[in-house]
Amino acid sequence: MVLVFIDHDGTKPKKGGLEAVTRAREIAGALNSPVFGLVVGHGIDGVAAEARKYVDTLYVVDNPAFAEYTPEKWTAAAHAAAQKAGAKAVVAPASRTGRTWTARLAVRLDAGLLEDVLEIEPSAEAVVAKRYTFLNRVLETQRAAYPVVVTSKPNAAPLAEPKGDGQVEALAVSLGELEARVEVLEKIQEEKKRVSLTEANVVVTGGRGMGSPEAFKLVEELADLLGGAVGATRAVVDAGWRPYAEQVGQTGKTVQPALYIALGVSGAVQHQAGMNKSKVVVAVNKDPDAPIFKETDYGIVGDVHQVLPAMIEAVKKLKD
Amino acid sequence: MKFVAIIRQVPDGEAKLREEGGRIDLSGATMILDQMDEYAVEEIIQLKEKHGGEAVIVAFGPERTKEAIRTALAMGADRAVFVKYEGDADPITEAKALAQVLKEEAPTVVFTGGQQADWDSYALGPAVAEALGWPSVAWTTAFELADETQATAQHDLDEGAQRVQVKLPAVFTTQQGLNEPRYPTLPGIMKAKKKEIKEIPAEELGITGTRVEILSQAIVKIERKQKILDGTKEPEKAAEELVRLLHEEAKVI
Repeated sequence: MVLVFIDHDGTKPKKGGLEAVTRAREIAGALNSPVFGLVVGHGIDGVAAEARKYVDTLYVVDNPAFAEYTPEKWTAAAHAAAQKAGAKAVVAPASRTGRTWTARLAVRLDAGLLEDVLEIEPSAEAVVAKRYTFLNRVLETQRAAYPVVVTSKPNAAPLAEPKGDGQVEALAVSLGELEARVEVLEKIQEEKKRVSLTEANVVVTGGRGMGSPEAFKLVEELADLLGGAVGATRAVVDAGWRPYAEQVGQTGKTVQPALYIALGVSGAVQHQAGMNKSKVVVAVNKDPDAPIFKETDYGIVGDVHQVLPAMIEAVKKLKD
Repeated sequence: MKFVAIIRQVPDGEAKLREEGGRIDLSGATMILDQMDEYAVEEIIQLKEKHGGEAVIVAFGPERTKEAIRTALAMGADRAVFVKYEGDADPITEAKALAQVLKEEAPTVVFTGGQQADWDSYALGPAVAEALGWPSVAWTTAFELADETQATAQHDLDEGAQRVQVKLPAVFTTQQGLNEPRYPTLPGIMKAKKKEIKEIPAEELGITGTRVEILSQAIVKIERKQKILDGTKEPEKAAEELVRLLHEEAKVI
């Protein structure tokens, strides 16, 4: 049996959850087994009604105790669902939270952990997965015999299509002393006007070459025109121009969009680790020797303060 | 109180990697203390400075890992426990070995890097916590110790952040912004040479192989088109041409 954790935004499954369903179906094909789903939260009838379309049976943990995420609670829910389903494989999106509780679950199930997989080749005995290592510089092929826990890298798997109406079952999860040891005091909301950085198809990143926090208005404008997210380099967030949540790179977020636009970004290795798997990379920099140009498909050597407004105009013209 | 940082030695991000027979050969690469672990080391030293007690480094890996341990000791940690293991490892296997060490050490708080720069993994901290039956907090950006039984922390979620109160002992993984790691000073480096590194062979902890097997490794090189336009004289023209290429050739906008 295969269990897939479908994460959601409170009303419907997230993109990452539907990508995870794709991987779960691949494993289910090799094991010739049905797919069990799991949704966790509080007041998530709407989520369940959507998520059931992707699985044969959907376990629903809908309970005030699960209103706020903690890795311990999520592990307890996934463990209960995995036990009930008799799961040999558990798949979850490689989101920040997903990457954390799946590690706990792998220990609890004595399973092999395949993190951030790009593609998988499941058989009846094991899952072979391809994933990046060494700061995205190496493509590694790993193999783990069942039971396995797999996290699916954002934007790597196609979104699953709905297949019909799965059966819905409420799942009771008993919480013990461990889960009681973490209390959520406060949830700090990110200002959310745009698609999330890791899920975005287009990312527009500004570097120190932008010159000032005010100059990011134009970065935002281009991102909005393209329906994308705004990114920033470490230098920019360290300077306090943008929030840490927007940082792309080794110590920030790893993105793999269809289009990555780097504006005034020199392209340190640590930054490249977070973006060098983007499908198309665009760079604008006044220094023709900036390392970013080595990782660029289309670039302009020039003053970003002249080029960026012109790019915005050109995109607007294209859209008209 | 006792504060532990779990560290790893990894290749420098700028180090040139070599591939040999379908495996990465690190023999010529510059190896460093994982930058995400530097935050962990800094945090436990600050905790010790503020609250007293002991700052202990715990590490797992091949013999060369001792260089990274010396760096952490030079930053100001007191002593180290080193589980020596020469083969391929994975975070779950390492976590099971280190949990045994930590059970014995009985620390108040454990810190480790939010990501391991060689494995590109996020699992070590939470896996260690699970193996011990302790809570874990990932991507910690602020940490405040109340007393030896309790701490509050702020950490990043998928979107936004959370402030949590945690009953100790617990494992926290680092995120940039947690602190500013100090550089080892010359006297620190000299002192570090005399500090204790207790070595434990991984076999003594029952670790003989890994749960996940590495079949092959290959250096990735994505060929980029490198169509670079000159926008120094006519920026509008270059911008228009760029947008045309993205629309007609790359078909991404």
